[in-house]
Amino acid sequence: MSKQVINSTNIFIAFQYLLARKKQSLLATIGVMLGVTTFIVMINFMTGVNDFLDDAVFNGSPDIIISAKQKKLSSKPIFGVRINSLEKVKNIDHLLSKENNIQSFAHQVISPAILVSESKQLPGSINGVFPSSEKEMVDLKRRLIEGKGFESLTEENAILLGISLAKKLQVSVGDHLKMILPNGKSMHLKITGVFSFGITTIDNVRTYFPAKTLQNLLGQNDAITHVHIKLKDRDDVGLKTELSQQIGAATIEDWKDANKTIVIGNKVRDILTWSVSFALLLVAGFGMYNILNITVIHKRKDIAVLKTIGYSAADIIFVFLMQSAIIGLLGALFGAGLGYLISYMISATPLDTSDFIIVDTYPINFKLVYYVLGIVFGILTTMLAGYFPSKKASKVDPVTIIRGI
Amino acid sequence: MILETKHINKYFYEPEKHQVLNGISLQIASGELTSVYGESGSGKSTLLYILSTLDSDFEGSLYIHDRDIKELSAAELTNFRNKHIGFVYQFHYLLPEFNVLQNIMLPAMKLGKKDKEEIKHDAVMLLEELGIQDFAKRSSYKLSGGQQQRVAIARALINDPALIVADEPTGNLDQKNSDVIFALLKEITANKGKSVIIATHDPKIYQNSDRAIEMIDGSVRL
Repeated sequence: MSKQVINSTNIFIAFQYLLARKKQSLLATIGVMLGVTTFIVMINFMTGVNDFLDDAVFNGSPDIIISAKQKKLSSKPIFGVRINSLEKVKNIDHLLSKENNIQSFAHQVISPAILVSESKQLPGSINGVFPSSEKEMVDLKRRLIEGKGFESLTEENAILLGISLAKKLQVSVGDHLKMILPNGKSMHLKITGVFSFGITTIDNVRTYFPAKTLQNLLGQNDAITHVHIKLKDRDDVGLKTELSQQIGAATIEDWKDANKTIVIGNKVRDILTWSVSFALLLVAGFGMYNILNITVIHKRKDIAVLKTIGYSAADIIFVFLMQSAIIGLLGALFGAGLGYLISYMISATPLDTSDFIIVDTYPINFKLVYYVLGIVFGILTTMLAGYFPSKKASKVDPVTIIRGI
Repeated sequence: MILETKHINKYFYEPEKHQVLNGISLQIASGELTSVYGESGSGKSTLLYILSTLDSDFEGSLYIHDRDIKELSAAELTNFRNKHIGFVYQFHYLLPEFNVLQNIMLPAMKLGKKDKEEIKHDAVMLLEELGIQDFAKRSSYKLSGGQQQRVAIARALINDPALIVADEPTGNLDQKNSDVIFALLKEITANKGKSVIIATHDPKIYQNSDRAIEMIDGSVRL
């Protein structure tokens, strides 16, 4: 559009038209506003939940897990049980240290165990970790509710518990527990820390315990049951395939296998957000189209007069497009404001959850980019919707109109 | 001479092909009030739209200020009209969203030769000349028919065009207001040196014009 078209006179005419039908302009603005508000609230909420889950899950669990295969049960059960260790752990380490996509990896010894507190006994498992390598894998400091993190595992009988597990055992930091292993050995433990990843499936079962102590108790000093791997690029699945080919007697699982429900849940939320937002903006766009279209039909005479007194087709398009731009801009700005307000209110709403996730309030994202996106979408939709009536207005033939009376 | 036509033919294609204008060749002198009259369907309005450059779908040629109108692009034609031609219609066609002053200012704001204050000043002067200065701030739809038509004349004059084209300017007015409007148009011709072309079927107007052209069945009666 040339400079001649964008001028104060045309903008003045556009404003005058908007002000002449305040009610309709207001309705159109509210339409755009609601579209943008919903878009922003939905995307804030949905991505908030997605990010929360991603963060909790991917921070709390590794991207790839290599674990020992279950051996076939022999026909005569042997009690004096040994746990299945990974074979050739050194070879795996060697293989992993050469890979580019690996951020860090750590060994774990996981053994079934019964935890006994003063009031409860729970069967579960013990995660034996090597604190120096495990702290590269999990940012536990951020997750601690009470007590100390991995650094306390230098004491050989220290244990860290997930919060739900601690609650079930009715214990807290400083309390003592008894651990009974499958081979019958037992040990008194001191709880040095309680943590929460926010997800019940982790907080219910996860423990951190010094691997060395566990190996000693099991009588298997070199036993490593799991290798956990954190990737630089989580979506690069090449490594999993490569590992499967090179490591024989092991099960290899990646984050997609382990978190299928969450991955699918994220996808569903994404699809929902975008389709609902799109539908709402479409409705707002139709509202704009409708109002402007009716105006053009009502104002055919006026458009004809503007044309006879020297306003070109481009001027007319600009005048009408300007009206939708103003409505779009106002609606989008108010929508962003209202969207922020509602998002804020949701983020401050207390939430009582215990089954799946553990949070105090709804997780909400407040990223600036979503507001920019909402405003841009709002304006674009309105202007696109306004373009067709504007084009129609510019085609009004003054002779037909003036003669047609 | 301000305007000249050569052999203008014009056809309508709806409902069937039909010739409305038949070989119109005319010369309109500067500073004259010319009336075109004839019965309904004689083609006088059609001719007027062609002369005012609104309708460029015709055979033959039209020269205004020695410019061949058919050589101008659509955008050039719009500018040309804005600068050189003022319109008055049977119905005033003022824009209801704007007050009287703003209605008058619109063509000049489009022309953009003067700043807003100067245009306002010109518009107020015109209102005074036409005796409607008291209505400057009023919404245009709150005026009587005669007053509205005077505002329309002021709007036609704001860019100081050489040619004023009026289509049945008194067609919707009572006798008293008709007389006032016609007197104004005559005064514009005499005092401002404008050329005025009026399409009308009011004998009082064409009998008192500098020149009267009668149209019969799409032709000029000589």
